[in-house]
Amino acid sequence: MTSQATQAEPIRALVLCGYGLNCDHETAHALELAGARADRVHINSLIDGSVSLDDYRIMVFVGGFSWGDDHGAGVIQAVRMKGRMGDSLLDFVAAGKLVMGICNGFQVLVNLGLLPGFDGDYRRRTVALTYNDCGNFRDQWVHLRAETASPCVFTQGLTHLELPVRHGEGKFYASPEIIDRLGADGQIALKYAGADGSPAGGRFPNNPNGSVADIAGICDPTGRVFGLMPHPESFNHWTTHPDWTRICDRARREGRSVGDGPTPGTQMFINAVNYF
Amino acid sequence: MPHRLEITLRPDLLDAEGEGVRRKARDYFGLTLDRVRTVHVVTMDVDLNTEQLEALRCEVFTNPVTQISSYAPLDLPFDWCVWVGCRPGVRDNPGATAAEAMEDLLGVGLGPGEGVFTSRRYCIGGRDLTEADMRQIAAELLANDIIQQWRVFSARDWHGETGIGYILPKVMLNHTPTVTTIATESDAALQAVSDQRNLALNPADIPTIRSYFLDDRVRTERAAVGLCDPTDIELEYISQARSDHCNHNTFGGLFRYRETGVGDTEIIDSLFKTCIEAPTLALQKEKDWVVSVLWDNAGVGRFDADHHYVVTGETHNSPSNMEAYGGAITGIVGVYRDPLGTGRGSKLLMGSYGFCVGPRDYDGPLRPRLHPRRLLDGVIEGVRDGGNKSGIPTPFGQVLFHHGYLGKCLVFVTALGLMPAISAGEPTEQKKTSPGELVIMCGGRVGKDGIHGVTASSETYSENTPAGHVQIGDPYTQKKMHDFLLEARDRGLIRFVTDNGGGGLSSSVGESARFSGGCVVELDKIPLKYDGLDQWEIWISESQERMTVAVAPGDLDAFMALSARHAVESTVIGRYTDSGKLHITWKGTTCAYVDMDLLARGFPQWDFDAEWITPELRGLTEPVLGRPADLGGVLADMLARPNICSKEWIVRQYDHEVQGTSVIKPLVGKDRDVPSDGAVIRPVLKSCRGLAFSQALLPQYSAIDAFHMTACTIDEALRRLLAVGARLDEIGGVDNFCWPSIQYDPAANPDGKFKAAQLVRACKALRETCLAYGVPLLSGKDSMYVDGHLAGPYGETRKVSGPETLMFSATGIVEDVHRCTTSDVKAPGDGIYVIGTTADELGGSEYYEMFGYVGVHVPRVVPDAFIPLYRAVETAVVRGLVASVHGVYRGGLGIHLALCAMGGGLGMDVDLTRMVSAGALRDDTALFSESAGRFVVTVAPDRRKVFERLFGGLACARVGEVTDNGRLKVTGAAGRRIVDAGVSDLKACWQAPFGDLI
Repeated sequence: MTSQATQAEPIRALVLCGYGLNCDHETAHALELAGARADRVHINSLIDGSVSLDDYRIMVFVGGFSWGDDHGAGVIQAVRMKGRMGDSLLDFVAAGKLVMGICNGFQVLVNLGLLPGFDGDYRRRTVALTYNDCGNFRDQWVHLRAETASPCVFTQGLTHLELPVRHGEGKFYASPEIIDRLGADGQIALKYAGADGSPAGGRFPNNPNGSVADIAGICDPTGRVFGLMPHPESFNHWTTHPDWTRICDRARREGRSVGDGPTPGTQMFINAVNYF
Repeated sequence: MPHRLEITLRPDLLDAEGEGVRRKARDYFGLTLDRVRTVHVVTMDVDLNTEQLEALRCEVFTNPVTQISSYAPLDLPFDWCVWVGCRPGVRDNPGATAAEAMEDLLGVGLGPGEGVFTSRRYCIGGRDLTEADMRQIAAELLANDIIQQWRVFSARDWHGETGIGYILPKVMLNHTPTVTTIATESDAALQAVSDQRNLALNPADIPTIRSYFLDDRVRTERAAVGLCDPTDIELEYISQARSDHCNHNTFGGLFRYRETGVGDTEIIDSLFKTCIEAPTLALQKEKDWVVSVLWDNAGVGRFDADHHYVVTGETHNSPSNMEAYGGAITGIVGVYRDPLGTGRGSKLLMGSYGFCVGPRDYDGPLRPRLHPRRLLDGVIEGVRDGGNKSGIPTPFGQVLFHHGYLGKCLVFVTALGLMPAISAGEPTEQKKTSPGELVIMCGGRVGKDGIHGVTASSETYSENTPAGHVQIGDPYTQKKMHDFLLEARDRGLIRFVTDNGGGGLSSSVGESARFSGGCVVELDKIPLKYDGLDQWEIWISESQERMTVAVAPGDLDAFMALSARHAVESTVIGRYTDSGKLHITWKGTTCAYVDMDLLARGFPQWDFDAEWITPELRGLTEPVLGRPADLGGVLADMLARPNICSKEWIVRQYDHEVQGTSVIKPLVGKDRDVPSDGAVIRPVLKSCRGLAFSQALLPQYSAIDAFHMTACTIDEALRRLLAVGARLDEIGGVDNFCWPSIQYDPAANPDGKFKAAQLVRACKALRETCLAYGVPLLSGKDSMYVDGHLAGPYGETRKVSGPETLMFSATGIVEDVHRCTTSDVKAPGDGIYVIGTTADELGGSEYYEMFGYVGVHVPRVVPDAFIPLYRAVETAVVRGLVASVHGVYRGGLGIHLALCAMGGGLGMDVDLTRMVSAGALRDDTALFSESAGRFVVTVAPDRRKVFERLFGGLACARVGEVTDNGRLKVTGAAGRRIVDAGVSDLKACWQAPFGDLI
């Protein structure tokens, strides 16, 4: 599928698991489709040193309900990793490697302060993901617009795509100043949009959670740390798309074939692997 | 000195939770609240200094961007404040994770007697709200007094410094564990003890129990270990094991079945043996894909050469009926332990739900414990949190409203798992315990919760039903255990694993010890939530999230190290032996010592008189109903009926895509809002092989004959699978029976003999239909006593019995998911075909129900006639000949043509006189008959020839064409246009009832 897949030395990717995380298997699968060698690693294996971050070039904070999300999604995982892993996360970022946080993982990144990472400060909590305005957990596919001007490594080449959201706390919130700065620096990598790619304008359900400025994902100023609420790892096969039977039927009638080539979800991981 | 932290969202942020309360207060009670703000309260009864408290406040409990917090009461304006917290001993999941966070951040664990408790207070603003209004909101919306306590403060009597005060729901038993010996001098005496201790011993069992303990050999052996009369532990153990919930005495019972007016009586010795076990064993011989059935926690079927899938279904009715959220979350999290405890363990793949409740808008005179609307809210949320937080997709589910479920609701939960065919060199589906292996309890700790759960669920709900068995499931703790056990399995560390469900250790250890032939359990080793439990309570407690595992001594260190890595508590509580005895000790002293085979010997079989009265003898007839002139109006109103209309608001609360396996989702079509026939997942991500799942529920037909109810339910589940692309030859079934009490009593259950006959007939239909279609029953359960005694307006109580209900779940294999089909029509110009024969079968139909009729012509299933059609559908799907496939179910062709059109956002022109029918049908019959065995399919012009050749000579007719004019046009007898409606208008009707719910 990609040049990486055939390389002798695949890029190694670490996928966190344990403590109620639950998207680890499909995230590892998507990374392998992208040509990486992915290991599912328990948070405690990083903490007790039996696995070292140094062996990896991509680290993914996956979706799930770490510690049940009981005191703010991703908060306790951030507290544990901050307290028990010293500066190894900061060193990982400083070493020019890639960090991705999906859903619960995005929530962890903003609580760690790895995002938005203004001025190289990867410790400050300046943005938040809070309860959906709709008041409930919601599973739906959304249209997304990728910010072409963004330095985000993961969204390079993507313009308009669809992915599923599945969360109860995905409303991106920050002060107007912070939002302006994120926009100005091209750190708003993904925005919720309408079917035609036009801005969702805060309207439910195109913007499923009431996120300020339709923000679905942001990156740090370098573009190497990326967090998003939608689930790219879930769209790892064409038959995962909600309309796939309709798309295939139309293609057949038009004498086209579909389903070869990577899905937009997998493409994000390919971008990560190809970065190196 | 306890510390109380209050946290709330910044004033400028929308409080979605508060908004929800405001909306429900308006919708449910007509109360106008101007604003509701939620304050989260964390009360820490822990010795902490100021710096530590501040660190916790800032690092853990307060989001600096969105929240404000204070250890003094937050000064929020309100007219009324309602505080809601847990009762002592009720599982407080956020409290538990708060304690974990505290330990992580400060390295300070909970000392003895210390605790962290979470609660909420709602600051409510509104003009002329009274205390009575607040009490109603507290009692009927915010809190359930079974598990929660609440207080109401007015702005006047609120003290800014004191706030809610310090409320610490600690369990303080101040009780020394004691083993009590029970005198057995007479049957009456033992019966008295049973009543007084709520043992629910069956009177017929009592002589057997006594004779065992009076047996000389037994007494000598017991004397040798210091025992004489039975101890409370032993009697509780027997009571658990003999309960209908664990032992299925009803299905194992002896039935004397006769039809009124027909002389001879048929004796059926065990419905389970004759109607479930026998056909399944026969089919297992024919079908090599059936791997393991009838003995483990779930059934096992082959998925592919390297994997098996696992399936089972459960109900959690009685607890949900009393505490909807707690009952439902405990139910779904509980059924997820069954695949985990099947073979040497399975990874959970997906779950499904079925909710049967009273009318959501019920405003009649009876007062169920929870109003159906509130009950439904609770079970929806319980399954949502239980499934989502377990990381298991919920891609299928159904909701059914019926007056009969006012007495007791039904909550069906189904679980599917996947195991490698071989793990650590051995077949994964096999397991046993051997002498010398250690008994290990993993997961949660033991408390008073769940005590007498199984005996209570084996009783009709009444004022005296103990609420103690209502619990709150903890998916977080279980998810950690799930990940841990699967890794232990793959490393070959697990010899045997089973879950602690009904009966707790009493069941799990008792059952696992049968393989080795005995065990010794040291009760004092079992980790407790709090001190003061009696030994018998520890033994039978149903505290959740626990598994019992057999581990070889040599593997213990590796097992424990892995357990620690996953932050799961595991404890050695005994060892398996071949002594033939269940031997329980407390600090070295024997407190139970019974023969392993005690339960197998000589307990009397339950027996029932079953008397069938035919519908005709019961006076059922077809109604005298003139043909409606406005059938379009009937169709529009039927689409808006609660059991037909859209329930998207529930589906979207459930994560149906986690694990990245989703192929056919619960909602399909152009606008992704029409329910699919079935769910399909791709359990092995590297493979294109699929697993299809569907369920069906048709209890309305039981009003005529539970035989046909059962046959139609099975047929519908199968057609749902075929519609999405499953193969007919590899379909497995799961039967979940929910029945009212069938034990005749002239006063308490005067129609018990008839209900028993309905059960016999349902089981006969199960046997016949499964054999005819070649569907083995991979798993199944029964839950009886679906009755309730509801309070009425005059202080009377009225018994309300649920309709005889079968939830039938079906699993099937899809060889290549690229061939899966959906129900939405795809393109104008496609031909529309009705497959199957439509007959005058409106008995029990949605159409008759709308007019208040039952009728008598209930749909019949004729497998011999249907199977050739199903084979052809299978072929058409595999060869890609069909653009859309949809079964015809509840509501008949009218409803299901409309759903196909809505899914595609296109019009349809249909001439019903062209379809295959049994005799000439009146237009309304043709439109709404619920005849089984039917599909609606659409076929692209370039596939027409091949398709029609495939169906040549079969009951299949081209009835019309898909159009681009957005209208559903139906032609009836004499070329008359009977329906001409805009598809978007029909959809609006269908979405209207619950459309504003999210």
